Amino acid sequence: MRREVEEAMRLWGKIENFLALTGRKVIAFFSGYIEFQHYLKSIFNSFKSLKYLRMRSLYSTVLLQTKYTGLDAVFLISVVALMLGATVIIQASQKFPKFGIDSFIGDLLVLIIIREIGPLATAMIVTSRSGSAISAEIATQKQNHEIRSLELLGIDTKLYIVFPRIIASILSIISLVILFDVVALAGGYLISRLFIFIPPQQFLATIINAFSFEDLLITFLKSLMYGILIPLICCYYGFRPTSAFQIPIFVSRAVVRTLLSVFIINALISFLFYL
Amino acid sequence: MLGDMENSFLSVRNMSYMLDIHSTLRGISFDLKQGDNIVFFGLENSGIDKICPFISCAIDDFDGDVFFKGHDVKNASYFERNIIRKDMVYLQRGYGLITNMTVYENIALPLRYHSKMTSDEIDFRVNQLIDEMEIDLSRDMRPVDIYQSERLKTAFARAIALNPDLLLAEHPLEAQCVLNVMSVMRSLKKWADSPLKSVIIVAYNPAVFSDIANRFIMLYRGEVVFDGTREEFLSTTNEYVVQYMTFSPKGPMMV
Repeated sequence: MRREVEEAMRLWGKIENFLALTGRKVIAFFSGYIEFQHYLKSIFNSFKSLKYLRMRSLYSTVLLQTKYTGLDAVFLISVVALMLGATVIIQASQKFPKFGIDSFIGDLLVLIIIREIGPLATAMIVTSRSGSAISAEIATQKQNHEIRSLELLGIDTKLYIVFPRIIASILSIISLVILFDVVALAGGYLISRLFIFIPPQQFLATIINAFSFEDLLITFLKSLMYGILIPLICCYYGFRPTSAFQIPIFVSRAVVRTLLSVFIINALISFLFYL
Repeated sequence: MLGDMENSFLSVRNMSYMLDIHSTLRGISFDLKQGDNIVFFGLENSGIDKICPFISCAIDDFDGDVFFKGHDVKNASYFERNIIRKDMVYLQRGYGLITNMTVYENIALPLRYHSKMTSDEIDFRVNQLIDEMEIDLSRDMRPVDIYQSERLKTAFARAIALNPDLLLAEHPLEAQCVLNVMSVMRSLKKWADSPLKSVIIVAYNPAVFSDIANRFIMLYRGEVVFDGTREEFLSTTNEYVVQYMTFSPKGPMMV
């Protein structure tokens, strides 16, 4: 009898721990959600500061961020696009003729590269490259009291730090997605010629036939959403650390949660427009 | 009473704060006339480190009021505070220079953000400050590449770039060789001598600023234990000041 009671108590203890852990996670999720809402609200409120701000103070940050996020990522994006493009083209051109659907190669390329992989891979590269840098930079600036020093100079930090990064990120991601698509299709085609031969006119014609204005619009919409989302989330986590040892924790969190948000947005847009 | 506070240059009333026994301020009140300069001094944890953050409302969870040129700083909105801070500049401890900007860019930052000056006018003003601070050789260097004295000079130049009316300087000479920062001291003296400019300095070594300040306030455990003019400070027999200035363990203060 006593053993049964002890076992029941132990079991109850485990259930209690599980419930407490779940409760803590749920509370943490909702408090994080509320904090992020406050952050978004403060960003929107900061637009009021635009009337006091001289835009010239943002130019250098926009230029620097565009260079780092866009220009400096050109080589990496090109290599990834080339490899992914070649893989998709080789796979499609090897398998499709066997099923007698080789005329759909263009559709597949537009479907996979332009609609999905182009914006998604670009967003992933920008998040891991620039998103982590944005978080780490802001977190370090906060630890060095630089953010406070900006505030004490009467500078609206949300506007001064987040706004130029959003502008730079939008410009960079749109440009990089276009670059990715072009390199993936053109470069992929050239690489695939080492293994298989598709007449260039046929290749081009199938892509043009498969491509629609809607694809262009949705790719642009995705790029725009990622351009806003990546710096917004990464800046949020950059502002969060309260001590130096928390910096890597929040930088890692920034990258993981931005990637998760990118995947969710991607799925949501595909669901809304293509289903 | 409220009318007086609103009309004065800087008025601090019943500034109180209690975090723990070591971090406290109890009913600090003082007025500052335009052109006057104050040095706050005292032991670590005497409350002096809260003076500048509270006046500028960098931290605003304290009791009491702060009025600056008729503006209620504590109850001002986020945007109003940003405007007030153009006239009330806070040179914080550690200086807070922006590490990814050069010395030139750091000094130009408030001018580019706030002023309506043209690029040429900004360039002229920044060069003027660089010459005054004698930091021409480090103009294109980042804060990590320059000496501690040059960091102070850059931060000071950035603080006065917009020609504010009130400068809050928190431990400006901490970890500094006074001989290396003579240009700052000269500039600070010129600033303090101006009838339209005021400075509040928080420091552990008040005697260094005896040429600059005309009022000295000592705090101990969050309360004012000495408040006097320069002459009174230099000739005082106040046992708190005497103990502090002679570095003596004997006296009313528990060290």
